[in-house]
Amino acid sequence: MSAGVPDHVRALLVQSLAAWHVTGEVRTEADGTLLLMAGDKQLRVSRAAGDLPFRWMVSDGERSHGVTSIAGLLRTVRAAVDPGYRPIRLHIAPLPLLPP
Amino acid sequence: MIPVSVLTGFLGSGKTTLLARLLASPQFSRTAVIINEFGEVGLDHHLIETSEESFVELQTGCLCCTIRGDLVLTLEDILRRRDAGTVAPFERVVIETSGLADPAPILHALMSDAGLSQRLALAGVVTTIDAVNGLATLARQPESVKQVAVADRLVLTKTDLIDGAADGLAERLAALNPSAKVLTASFGAGGPEQLFDMGLDAAPGRPPDVRAWLGFDDHAHPGPAPHDAHRHGSQISCFAILRDEPIRAITLTLLLEVLAEHCGADLLRLKGIVNVAESPDHPAVIHGVQHVFHPPAWLDRWPSEDRRSRLVFIGRDIRQNWIETLLEALDAEVGEVTGRR
Repeated sequence: MSAGVPDHVRALLVQSLAAWHVTGEVRTEADGTLLLMAGDKQLRVSRAAGDLPFRWMVSDGERSHGVTSIAGLLRTVRAAVDPGYRPIRLHIAPLPLLPP
Repeated sequence: MIPVSVLTGFLGSGKTTLLARLLASPQFSRTAVIINEFGEVGLDHHLIETSEESFVELQTGCLCCTIRGDLVLTLEDILRRRDAGTVAPFERVVIETSGLADPAPILHALMSDAGLSQRLALAGVVTTIDAVNGLATLARQPESVKQVAVADRLVLTKTDLIDGAADGLAERLAALNPSAKVLTASFGAGGPEQLFDMGLDAAPGRPPDVRAWLGFDDHAHPGPAPHDAHRHGSQISCFAILRDEPIRAITLTLLLEVLAEHCGADLLRLKGIVNVAESPDHPAVIHGVQHVFHPPAWLDRWPSEDRRSRLVFIGRDIRQNWIETLLEALDAEVGEVTGRR
């Protein structure tokens, strides 16, 4: 797998932990992957290899999950570090905002 | 399309008194009002033209009906009566909520019903605040905080009792929802029309006043910073994000998805005007309550020379820097995937 997670992804994960009230830290490893530590969880975030249909890989030491987007990355990370997390799906309403 | 306004406010905040005054006002004719109980409004029997168990037509041309179990069914019923010509052709609808109600489910019902979507458009939320007791109510009752946070108009009632508002109330309201216009129940020279003129349901030929609707005055922070709001004992804060660069449509969609997924019920309101990269001359107006969003409304043109995107957030414990970082990361990813930056 190719490494080199961009710094804005690291910044987002740091901000996300704070937004979710999860105590933890995110650091960049020598190989360019990110190591996220929160409680007893350790997640490694890396870029997916080019031949995989994913953009990011999230590994908890036992299993690796492939995700296709930043949105999926946040969902996977939060599900791992925030036991109370219950994702809510966006609902686009049919009612128009403006009268024509 | 008929605009619908929601009138909310905590128990004893003067909501029903305000409604009773409006019902007697000629300026309020051609309005269908959905209320909880006729008895609470105290309809003047001299004004009543026709009535039946759940429905009253007033001489002013105003219709008044009670909710029978289901708001959507009630709305369908009055629309059916309007179409059949058995009631005056009302031109707007006002829905009064219970004083203890969280207004969000009512807004969701209005926004989500496909059957009503061809006839009704959500115009805005009006919240009454007791000028005497409002500050204490906000301190004690979380529902009242939410009612203020989702409002487009805040109406101070009982101001005659204390010659204005209690010390600190204006600051508290500004901290919770600086984007809402504050009126007094006496209305001054503007009359009750001010209550329901939210800026977006413009008169024919007049462009919608998006700036007034956003409550935005060119500052990235329309009100006190989030930490100031926290200091008042509430985690509800309001802030605005400005962006000079156009936002790609897919980035905007992903942003709304992530916000819904991670903020959910804590995102009390999001409204904004967006410079969408694929539609530079026709800005998109977006509006959401919690995880439910309207489809974007596309304006014919920009309301001013200022073409920056402006997103106004009102939420509970939502961090501005997280959303800014998220937007940057989503935009970078979309740029990378599409081969552009």
